[in-house]
Amino acid sequence: MRRLAALGITIAVVWVVVALPNPASGGRSTALALGFALIAAALTGTLFQRIRLPRVSGYLVFGMICGPYLANIITRPMARDLQLVNGLAIALIAMIAGLELNYARLKPRLGAMTRLGSITVGLLYAAMIPLLWIAWPWLPIYPEAAGVTRLALTILLTTVIVSFSPTVTIAVIADTRARGPLSEMVLAVVVITDLALIILFSIAMQFVRWSSGAATATDVSLLARLLWEIIGSFAFGAMVGALFALYLRHVRREVTIVLIGVCALLSELGPRLHFEPLLAALAAGLVVENIAQASGDELKEAVERGALPVLIVFFAGAGASLHLDALAAIGVTAAVVSAVRLGLIRGASNVAARVAGVDPATGQYVWMGLISQAGVTLGLTILVAREFPDWGLRVQSLMVALIALHELIGPVLFRAALARTGEIGRMDEPR
Amino acid sequence: MRRLAATAARVRATLRTRAALGLGPATTPIMLLVPVGVLLGPSGTGVLPASAVVRLDVVISIGLATLGLFVGIAAGTQRGAVRRLASASTAEGAVTMLVVSAATFALLRAWSVPLELSAVLTAASLGIAAAASAAPALAEREYPALRMAARVADLDDVLPILAGGVLLSVTASGTGRLVADLLLTVGTGIAIGLGGWLLLERAEGAERGVFVIGTLALLGGAAAYLGTSPLVVGLTAGLFWALTPGRADQVAAADLRKVQHPLVVLLLITAGAGLEVSLIGIWLFAPYVLFRLAGKLLGGWVASRIAPQVAPSDLGAYLISPGVLGIAFSLNLQQVVAEPAAPIVFAVATGAVVSELLALIVAPARES
Repeated sequence: MRRLAALGITIAVVWVVVALPNPASGGRSTALALGFALIAAALTGTLFQRIRLPRVSGYLVFGMICGPYLANIITRPMARDLQLVNGLAIALIAMIAGLELNYARLKPRLGAMTRLGSITVGLLYAAMIPLLWIAWPWLPIYPEAAGVTRLALTILLTTVIVSFSPTVTIAVIADTRARGPLSEMVLAVVVITDLALIILFSIAMQFVRWSSGAATATDVSLLARLLWEIIGSFAFGAMVGALFALYLRHVRREVTIVLIGVCALLSELGPRLHFEPLLAALAAGLVVENIAQASGDELKEAVERGALPVLIVFFAGAGASLHLDALAAIGVTAAVVSAVRLGLIRGASNVAARVAGVDPATGQYVWMGLISQAGVTLGLTILVAREFPDWGLRVQSLMVALIALHELIGPVLFRAALARTGEIGRMDEPR
Repeated sequence: MRRLAATAARVRATLRTRAALGLGPATTPIMLLVPVGVLLGPSGTGVLPASAVVRLDVVISIGLATLGLFVGIAAGTQRGAVRRLASASTAEGAVTMLVVSAATFALLRAWSVPLELSAVLTAASLGIAAAASAAPALAEREYPALRMAARVADLDDVLPILAGGVLLSVTASGTGRLVADLLLTVGTGIAIGLGGWLLLERAEGAERGVFVIGTLALLGGAAAYLGTSPLVVGLTAGLFWALTPGRADQVAAADLRKVQHPLVVLLLITAGAGLEVSLIGIWLFAPYVLFRLAGKLLGGWVASRIAPQVAPSDLGAYLISPGVLGIAFSLNLQQVVAEPAAPIVFAVATGAVVSELLALIVAPARES
């Protein structure tokens, strides 16, 4: 009751403050947006938890309802302000993923995980490409495309539609404090396949460029750029991770602030050096967990203390930025594509689990962890729209609508799977 | 010679302390962090470019609200000889404010300094920034005089915060809307304080941390959005928590200690990084330091006359160390009026560094 009253007061205060004419504000809405998101989204998340839904969904729904497309308490500038933490949040989330991937523990199942991921993606490609090829004239993207161009576009669209969300996966695991075969399996599959999908995306983009006459097929710099991005990101992240591990071993003070600082460094400096922050932060976490062996209570507490506010703001911001107008405009097509994707993922992962020899008790639920889409998908979509503005913007509209759907459905499904396998809350138990 | 040696020993001892390096929660590490900010900022090495300094504006709003909240909790939880102490502190703060404002105004008028803000506003701003003092470090509070100075320093921040709130209101929207603005500021503080009061006592662990940071951001953010004073909004919420039943004030104070240090560090580095050297700023700096020193000594003497039972006769000498509040107020003024306040920020920030050094020289010998 006290929490409901506090939520009501917080919403009322911000509503009044935003509604008042404030020429003196000078666009200073960042702190207001952060405070509002932290308190009100956290309270909404708690309410969701009480009705057995993921808190992450609560943060998203809060952002969506209070955002510029519905209640407009979080105005457009405020929604933009909330995205200031995006880079930091993605780096922090990837670092948590790295900290959860212990090679010694995963080694017995690593082969099965890789097989599961590759077979799932292979089957998805095999089913999705012909389906999209057949449905192409009815998709509101570039219906007049034919021949090789149509094939290239179909492959590119498949890559973007198939991609998963490491961010949401890790966020749900961190939020539910889950640990066990399913969470480790899904996390490893999502990270490994998204890594492969990023490479496939680069190849598909090159194919589209070639088919549309925008580039030659022998562009050597592409390979060099890819290598720099992937190997360089891992090397950069590993170096930062090693320094952080040294700090944890020898200093062990103000760990939360240093952890946030490390993630800020990875997210701000990485892109300037053309490194992928997600990969770099993942590598940093892997080094700390597997090589430095510095994890202890300080790091666990720091992760818990630092991750919660960042996740709340990140997902509330994502909810506020969901383009509900795009969903409304392209809703039917998006719903059909989403349903097909969901069915294919379920079928493909079930087949892959059986072929890879994954324990059926875990294998039957893997598909529920592969539905979410968020940052990586959006990033790929933005790249398409930026390079091919004529039809790329239509791809972006479709994908934004799909992301909106999958961001809402994905966490609910994944949490339900974790609950069914009894993994929720096991992160707090001793290993 | 002996005096010089003693001063040098005091400087060494201070620099050795964790507080001087910004690691202690009680003393303000101005001497180190403002110059570090200058070094990192756009006019120094450029590690913090102008765009990053603009982004750090959010830290100023949240930092101001945090300081206000601390002062509110401290003022609301004073017990015992609080009335005499409050009157002594108010007198000390008021005298400093008057001395600095009046002397600066007279000088500005006499020398016709070309200011972008009016002479009255400039003089009043410097007076308000000068009135605050830093509480002596916790470890030093075993000395009776220092203990009393610490309590006076806790309470003498209330007057400049309130005066600053009025000044900002008048600056932003004129005298016609003063009452409405002040009611809105206080009302915002109470409403957010009420929300925090409902949440803080029963929350635990990381969730409580989220609520504390969220409340701070909301206090600072609402005030910044409305163009009012985050210090007053924070002060109101702090007083609300201290005066209402329950232990929201203790819970908040315990959690705030964890974020206070990083916030103060960021606030001071932001202040240093954003400093703009100007002739008017340099011109204002020397009189500001001199008038503040005179005001503090005179204010301490007046306070000891009003309440001789609680305030020692050399109280003013303990209150020369300026603390973060003066710099915070000048940054708040800059948020409201933008560029024209830059010379005031420069004078107050550099004046604070010099005042910290002066405090080491002027501080009386300690007796138990």
